Amino acid sequence: MRIRKELWFGFSLMALIIAAVLIFTPWGNLVDGHLSKEDMGHLGLLMLALIVVAIMLGFPTAFTLMGMGVFFAWLAYRSVDPATAGQRVFDAFVQRTYGVMANDVLIAIPLFLFMGYLVERAQLIDRLFRSLHLATSRLPGSLAVATIVTCAIFATATGIVGAVVTLMGLLAFPAMLKAGYNVKIAAGAVTAGGCLGILIPPSVLLIVYGATAGVSVVQLYAGAFFPGMMLATLYVGYIVVLAKWRPALMPPLSEEERRVPLPALAQALAARGGNAFAGLWRAVTGDSGVPRHKALGQLVVSLVPALAIAAVLLVTYRAATAPVVEASAAGLVEIGGLAEAAAGAEEAQPSGVIGAEEAEDEGGVKEPPGEEEKPQEISAAPAGEEAPRETELQEAKPQDAKPEQAMPLERLPAPAWYWIVLAIGAAAAAVIYRLWNWERLEVFKLLLTSFFPLALLILAVLGSIVFGLATPAEAAAVGAFGGFVLVMIYRLIALWRTRPPGGAVGGAALWDAVKDFGVIIKESSFLTARTSAMVCWLFVGSGIFSAAFALLGGQELVEKWVLSLNLTPVQFLILAQVIIFLLGWPLEWTEIIIIFMPIFIPLLPHFDINPLFFGLLVALNLQTAFLSPPVAMAAFYLKGVSPPHVTLNAIFAGMMPFMGLQIVSMFVLYAWPQLGLWLPSVLYGK
Amino acid sequence: MQRILLFVDKVSTFVGHAFSFLIVALTLHVAWEVFRRYVLDSPRAWAFDVMIMLYGTLFMMAGAYTLAKNGHVRGDILYGFFRPRTQATIDLVLYIVFFLPGVVALTYAGYFYASESWAINEHSTITSEGPPIYPFKTVIPVAGAFVLMQGIVEIVRCVICLKNGAWPSREEDVEEVDVDKLKEELHVKDEDIQKLDRYVAPKEPAR
Repeated sequence: MRIRKELWFGFSLMALIIAAVLIFTPWGNLVDGHLSKEDMGHLGLLMLALIVVAIMLGFPTAFTLMGMGVFFAWLAYRSVDPATAGQRVFDAFVQRTYGVMANDVLIAIPLFLFMGYLVERAQLIDRLFRSLHLATSRLPGSLAVATIVTCAIFATATGIVGAVVTLMGLLAFPAMLKAGYNVKIAAGAVTAGGCLGILIPPSVLLIVYGATAGVSVVQLYAGAFFPGMMLATLYVGYIVVLAKWRPALMPPLSEEERRVPLPALAQALAARGGNAFAGLWRAVTGDSGVPRHKALGQLVVSLVPALAIAAVLLVTYRAATAPVVEASAAGLVEIGGLAEAAAGAEEAQPSGVIGAEEAEDEGGVKEPPGEEEKPQEISAAPAGEEAPRETELQEAKPQDAKPEQAMPLERLPAPAWYWIVLAIGAAAAAVIYRLWNWERLEVFKLLLTSFFPLALLILAVLGSIVFGLATPAEAAAVGAFGGFVLVMIYRLIALWRTRPPGGAVGGAALWDAVKDFGVIIKESSFLTARTSAMVCWLFVGSGIFSAAFALLGGQELVEKWVLSLNLTPVQFLILAQVIIFLLGWPLEWTEIIIIFMPIFIPLLPHFDINPLFFGLLVALNLQTAFLSPPVAMAAFYLKGVSPPHVTLNAIFAGMMPFMGLQIVSMFVLYAWPQLGLWLPSVLYGK
Repeated sequence: MQRILLFVDKVSTFVGHAFSFLIVALTLHVAWEVFRRYVLDSPRAWAFDVMIMLYGTLFMMAGAYTLAKNGHVRGDILYGFFRPRTQATIDLVLYIVFFLPGVVALTYAGYFYASESWAINEHSTITSEGPPIYPFKTVIPVAGAFVLMQGIVEIVRCVICLKNGAWPSREEDVEEVDVDKLKEELHVKDEDIQKLDRYVAPKEPAR
């Protein structure tokens, strides 16, 4: 019976729109082909109403747009000159189509999709969840927290909501139920977490918005980073607070479940002392009855955090004391106090992206006097001497910034804030090794093989885009290549693990792995082709559609109407977001952005709203569309893999608080736009 | 009849599959170009043109394939609730009203667009002495023709569905979310999911 009700609601909505269309259509003038400007504008609005009805009917949207666009463009041209109308429609259509084919922003879409499909097939989510679960096991609500973090990372790298929710529904959902978690909270964590990938860059939604609104994707990525992080943090915070407040909903894990199984080597050494670092050091230097080379391997793994900290400090130092052209040894000597500094020097290059990012934070916060263009220098620093052309193009004015500050040949003395950072870094290293027990070593090893490769991939892709080393398309291609490598490595590890005891990996097994790899590439390519065809054909259809809308002057009419309402910017923003929220009910995000953004964007200058900021709000807003019943896709994916007694209503109820958090974060972003605009403004000086 | 339909499906799918490997080429091409620029310091002027062409060809030629797999995005808020006959009626009407004019216009216009490009031996103007661009423009009418062919098959499908009251079958293909495969990957069996019910059931009695 509920289904019927929905059908009736949809039908009456459609009937209403069609009735309005029939009444307002200038029939008389339409027939004799002489449309006044006013009539054409009305026709444009009718077209917009009709497209909503047509989309709701369920015909493939790309072709609906095409058919309507061609027809209405022809009407518009005909009223000008009936003789050439046909030819002009064809010209407009094919040129718009070619524009989509040669679009240098949209090209990033298939590449990011490909990267996502590959990473999804690397089969690391299992390990990722397990390691994050162990790492967070002492937090209240640890399973739900681990679920959200896993989702955030995995969804960011893949961007495929359905796959993430299904995988986590198979993996984390049963684990949470078994641990006695409340069904609603478990369902909410899985569905809300799975949707995070839509917002956190690199996301396809932001590319589509950038291409439609003419906003730089690079700036959108930089802008969406903190709001995305904020949303994820809000989710985690909500879980932790709720678990603290009402432990009955999320019972803490028992000691048994928290224990990390230790390998034989660790067990032998653990008997002599709790600190793994000291224990390994003794095992390597002295005689303790365990194979020395094995202990050495563990010791090297233990040193990784120290190396990472040293690398970050080194890069920060280089950035802070720039500008200097030649690389000097000064940096090494200065940090010589840290024992690992020399080793850290080798690490500095590969992790440059991450290091630079932290450097960025510091540079922005402290803002040393007389060096206002510091952020530019910092962002260019990891690139080394041959700073790429894109950096210069995108940063607009690094060249003409203060020429009198001609590059001195010596490094500047490190500013005071650097020593503070150094102290913090050293203290962090000390704390880490003070707490470095055997369980933590095991957890760290697990994280090293699951969490860090993925995080590194995302950060490398994002970092190279945001710091202007590569265009989004190039970074996506390199990311996809990273996906290749990831799949290959994880397959080889799996092969190595399942090898017959004592023997080497057989030729047949190797051949199987190669075939497996081929299948993964093949399937990922097919899916990429299909999904990018879906998105890009929508652009082809909307090309002629929006051309027709503009020709008919619908845009003008909308503008006149909106301006006549005398809205304040705040009212306009709220109105726009409410409309987008409502459109999220019958339409998919692709359709909303591609069809309706071109109508909103030209209105923004009237209200003095930054299109970048608007884009961030829209991205947050469309998140809610994935979680709002009755069409929330995420809920249906989860329902598909959950036990029969978990009802759709329970899942919906679980999603509600998270949807509330999304709306809260929209208000937060609205109240403090700097949250989204600060990073782009620091990086690109806008 | 069904055999002809499936044959056209197969052709579209084959073309789509063949062209979808361009994504591998695109990935390798761009990654190699980035490597050349930063490590070997010898970027190639035509790399950008090739990038664009690979991308444009990829998605245009996959259009028919996507249509054959029913992969173009639909607003299925109401559509999913309709009976197959109602669905087929709507589709049939809209294929004729929207699809045919749109795609015929695209193919027709694309044909002349491409032939003009051939006639003037057009080259890319992004860099001097850019690569020839007429093959790329030829993609528009070719892709349009494939989509048109597949669309006609879909129209026939609607008619068959109107007659029989059920949609005729399609060929299988990879799914974006293949639940069975994901279950296998994580070693989850249906019984395991069923067993979970005992954690849920006490709190929420069955309705």
